[in-house]
Amino acid sequence: MEQAAEIEEIIGSLARIAECPSDYAADWESRTGGKVVGILPMNFPAEIVHAAGALPVIVQEDDAAISYGRSLLHEFYCGYTRSLVDQAATGKLACYDGIFLVDHCVALLGAVDAIRFELPDTPVFLAQFTASMDETTTRPQIAGRIGELRQRLEELCGEPITDDAIHRSIAAYNRNRGLLRRVYEMRRAGRIALSGRQMQALVKSAMVMDVEEHSARMARLLSLLEAQPPAPSAKVKLHLSGHFCHAPRPELFDMIESCDVTVVDDDIYTGYRFISTDVPDHADPVEALTGWYFARNNNVPCSTRAQKTVDWESYLGQALENTGAQGVIVLVPKFCEPHMLYYPELRKEFHRRGIPHLLIETEHEGLALEMLKTRVEALVEVIRRPAVIREPA
Amino acid sequence: MKSCVMGIDFGSTTAKAVILDLGGRMLASQVAHMGAVSGEGVAAAIAGALDAAGLAQADIGRTVATGYGRRMLDIADRNYTEITCHARGAVAMVPQARVVIDIGGQDSKVIAVDAQGLVMQFTMNDRCAAGTGKFFEVLARAMEIELEDMGALALQAQQSLKISSMCATFAETEVISLLAEGRSKADILGGVHAAVATRTVGLVGRVGRKGPIVMTGGVARNPAAVHYIEKALGEALILPEAPQIAGALGAALIGLDDYRREHREELEGDDALEAQMALDKACVPGCRGVPELAPPPATAPRGNAAALWKRIQSHL
Repeated sequence: MEQAAEIEEIIGSLARIAECPSDYAADWESRTGGKVVGILPMNFPAEIVHAAGALPVIVQEDDAAISYGRSLLHEFYCGYTRSLVDQAATGKLACYDGIFLVDHCVALLGAVDAIRFELPDTPVFLAQFTASMDETTTRPQIAGRIGELRQRLEELCGEPITDDAIHRSIAAYNRNRGLLRRVYEMRRAGRIALSGRQMQALVKSAMVMDVEEHSARMARLLSLLEAQPPAPSAKVKLHLSGHFCHAPRPELFDMIESCDVTVVDDDIYTGYRFISTDVPDHADPVEALTGWYFARNNNVPCSTRAQKTVDWESYLGQALENTGAQGVIVLVPKFCEPHMLYYPELRKEFHRRGIPHLLIETEHEGLALEMLKTRVEALVEVIRRPAVIREPA
Repeated sequence: MKSCVMGIDFGSTTAKAVILDLGGRMLASQVAHMGAVSGEGVAAAIAGALDAAGLAQADIGRTVATGYGRRMLDIADRNYTEITCHARGAVAMVPQARVVIDIGGQDSKVIAVDAQGLVMQFTMNDRCAAGTGKFFEVLARAMEIELEDMGALALQAQQSLKISSMCATFAETEVISLLAEGRSKADILGGVHAAVATRTVGLVGRVGRKGPIVMTGGVARNPAAVHYIEKALGEALILPEAPQIAGALGAALIGLDDYRREHREELEGDDALEAQMALDKACVPGCRGVPELAPPPATAPRGNAAALWKRIQSHL
């Protein structure tokens, strides 16, 4: 097969899995006889599920319109949590042998309550990770929570999770993240011309697939991409920011890129935020996973964590300097309070640095793409006009 | 080298065309009302402007399109968003303007601009027709009055009624209920305009009051909309003489910049004009705050509208 066609084929197959993780999970279950564990964003150490011999699948937002879930969760919850509950109410979470999470916000906790109500026979376990990163008590608390996770997963899977198994899983996931980061590095350097939709498919599929299988496809994809000629772009270079819990709709990427834009970097959950950080070496695998939790927020800060030594806006400023991105599009899911409340800080920093930017509020029910396109085009026109400090709202 | 440039605003409810000579003087402008993104409407606007200027399409050196239908116009050399073009056109008409309110057929925008008519910041409604020309259209139909008569009738309001829903469809229901309660059309329309004004001021708040505020777009010709927005803002709006053509004028000025830059060597000897345009880039030379139509050249060909119309339509 010709290289370009094989690239398309690999990415296309990963995109199909990312679109329908439950089909993949059912197939994996029938092949292996293992348990499938649904995990919720954002900081869940999937390695520990993998070490238990189960398949960790990050439950994605479903495109379907919210139906029965409406009676379980109010409209003022974010689209992701409403979708989770609707999936529970419509039988789409039946493929999971358990639902596990470590992060919390008001919306996610509400969704978990509704899932428990709707699926009383499904084990649902919250090992709440402390969000105050600077407290001296936080690190031992996180280690304790990971220990609780380990115990609950052992109960669910019926096997002890050994340190060696966790170490092997850490190595497998570190390799997978490294492969994905290499694609990101190539995009930043203008070596490849993968679209936002394609990049999302790579990361989203990593969230739902068996890690070794995903890495095998990624390794082949990388070897093909490395052999391609460079693909420098004369389009306006933008950074996509936000959406730290679930995937923006791919059609949003298509629309943005249709405005003579190339996306060179992002810090979204189904993007660089997810793959930014490897689990550090440590003799004790629980300590290693604890360290990963702290390192993630150092590498790509999140507004849901309270940490004095890092902040999201400084990270963004530095990221733009590194990649040469000329502006930022901030994607805020409607009713995402941690993001909405933090946005003024981002905006101040953009203004201080003279970074053109645009705020797009996304929602489960879809987007007025044509009107949004006018706004993105206006941002592009602002960037291409002479430099003064401009600040599209 | 050609003698003129043209800006076309292919809007959702009207089409506008403006022709400038290479000195930045406005030779003609035309507004055509032909319904939603109408090819016939834009052809009429272009042909009308060409005829008024006594020009043929071949005399146009650069055509820039804006508006919702901007990407549909093959005859345009380039296209820009309404945001960029309204900013440029509004400052050309009103040099002291630093904020532009543009209420168009499908959306409303508030744009902070600099002295050169460049966009500093913008915001727009992006969810529904609330606070747009379409909102007025829907409610005029519900009340069985002509759109053009809405403003005058709203100014006769005696009582302050509150229209609580800003969804055009729900507001229509609310208006029907108020009519059923026996409320006067004038009072209801006053409430409708006040609701739109509140929405608009919300957008101004997002951008910030950076200086004098100018209003463009078709709704600027509605005296009640202006009255209620001024009341909600607590300050007077500046109204250009022809607010509807701001986008087309901005498009024409952007085209003029490009065309003059491209033909810089052929335009040598025009240093004074070049210096003035560099200094006050957005302004139509010699303008006094509103665009003035120069009389068409006496010897120019006339009456080519039908042929041009056909030709333009074939490009749509």
